[in-house]
Amino acid sequence: MIKFFSDIYTASVTIMGGMLITLKHLFNAKNGIATLQYPEERWPRPERNIGFDLGSYNVIRSRLHVDMDDCIGCLKCERACPVDCIKIETAKAPERGEDIKDVKHVGVTTNGTRKAMVVTRFDIDMTECCYCNLCTYPCPEECIFMTGGPNSKKHPIDYEFSESNRSDLIYRFAKPGTKEGMDKLLEDGESVGA
Amino acid sequence: MGLVHGEQMVLNIGPQHPATHGVLRLQVRTDGEVVSQITPYMGYLHRCFEKHCENVTYEQVIPFTDRCDYLSSMSMNFGYVVAMEKLMDIKVNDRVEHIRVIMAELQRIASHLLCTGVYGLDLGAFTPFLWALRDRERILDLFEFTCGARLLYNYMWVGGLSHDIPTGFVESTLEFLDYFEPKVDELENILAHNKILVERSADIGVMPKDVAISYGVTGPNLRASGVNWDLRKNDPYSIYDRFEFDVPVGVGGKGTVGDCWDRFYVRIIEIRESVKIIRQAIASMPKEGDVHQSLPKKIRPPKGSIYARTETPRGDLGYYIESDGSPIPYRLKMRSPAFTALSVLDEIASGWLLSDVLAILGSLDIVLGEIDR
Ligand code: SF4
Ligand code: SF4
Repeated sequence: MIKFFSDIYTASVTIMGGMLITLKHLFNAKNGIATLQYPEERWPRPERNIGFDLGSYNVIRSRLHVDMDDCIGCLKCERACPVDCIKIETAKAPERGEDIKDVKHVGVTTNGTRKAMVVTRFDIDMTECCYCNLCTYPCPEECIFMTGGPNSKKHPIDYEFSESNRSDLIYRFAKPGTKEGMDKLLEDGESVGA
Repeated sequence: MGLVHGEQMVLNIGPQHPATHGVLRLQVRTDGEVVSQITPYMGYLHRCFEKHCENVTYEQVIPFTDRCDYLSSMSMNFGYVVAMEKLMDIKVNDRVEHIRVIMAELQRIASHLLCTGVYGLDLGAFTPFLWALRDRERILDLFEFTCGARLLYNYMWVGGLSHDIPTGFVESTLEFLDYFEPKVDELENILAHNKILVERSADIGVMPKDVAISYGVTGPNLRASGVNWDLRKNDPYSIYDRFEFDVPVGVGGKGTVGDCWDRFYVRIIEIRESVKIIRQAIASMPKEGDVHQSLPKKIRPPKGSIYARTETPRGDLGYYIESDGSPIPYRLKMRSPAFTALSVLDEIASGWLLSDVLAILGSLDIVLGEIDR
């Protein structure tokens, strides 16, 4: 009998204690509000100020983007990917006549490397991608990166990239490998390189 | 119990059930309302990770370890890199070790917060769950600040880290800890001593010492049974031997040693211990140091095998790696702590009422991603 009443007593005391804590939160709403009215309000994305050598740090996980003008088709990113969602096909840059010797390339990247390969296919299947970021580290030309963050100057962040059609999530970065496309590339190469 | 028999019945809990913490099916044999046998059926989340790892290079294994125990990815990364560094005989510098410890302990807090919060939810308390998740969110923000990802980090690499901590990380972490410490007390007050929760968990699902040891249960579940066993103290890896902290063990605060309440409460104390470790690690962290210093050019370990174990929020995580000298592991096996915790369920939950089964399951803190792999 005594236990019965003491149980009721402890129950009401501990529950009151809990209620008191919650009540305090009601009047101290300053730190308590966690809800964000999402499309209107957005959580501030943390500034990623690494402090040194910003460019080489890809500290963001978002949509992948490839600067096709800089890609030399070295396949390093394809090999680094653990789920094989990058598919690259390349072709040797065609000869451009005998008289000009060393122009077996289709232009120069921003780092000054000659592009000896024509990338005819560069597909990233973003439905398969696991955002591990492994592909961005080995790229010698820093042309595959996740958008936003330290790369904002190259490409603004874009983290709302849902599609209603699944095949739209396969990003095809390469210009189609047709004869015209190849000629176009060669022309571009002439204006940039050599 | 046992004298009066009720109607025998077979009941399936799950696989889609919020209280099974993932995709798990429990086949429960009941006798009236008393549970006589529980058979867990798992494999609903099996993604062949161990087999996958035999086809990818050692660097590429790390994203897969992330996805095993998705609630404590940093700890999973940590276990793997500790094993690999032992196999390849790499020593990393002090800064890397300190950052790793800070990350692993932040992850422990995040994981325990989720466990304690969800335990309240399982037993009907909704508010503490939201509070726990609110504080966990701050930790995830710290991780996002560091490596861009909130849950699956791929941050610790064999021989270093993917990149250094950002400027301002230490300050934000200290700020978070100052904010967080009173919140732990609040969480404890609203949840741990609440009469309703105590009634639902004290004296329920008692796991005696010998049962825990013979089933190979580790981590907070083992410590709650009164065994003082923590790999960070008993078999220190990384630099855990440099820090002062206590290993909380269950003392039967509200009932018997090793009951659900003990398992729940040990985690709350562990959160406080982790805070202590983080403060010490931040104080002693070297300011300089290249986190890429010992990064090998190509990971090609010598022929041989290794077994290394670390303490994740759920218990002893072991990695067995068999190398044949190629850049691809020949075999990679994980010893999952949650698996053993689930296997003991039948032993400790039979004989209890049906409604207690979920209280016991919640107190074991299993993660199905790690059990099925
Ligand atoms: S982020 Fe990872 S999964 Fe995605 S494309 Fe790059 S390497 Fe592959
Ligand atoms: S690593 Fe960079 S340069 Fe090489 S193929 Fe990939 S995107 Fe192109």
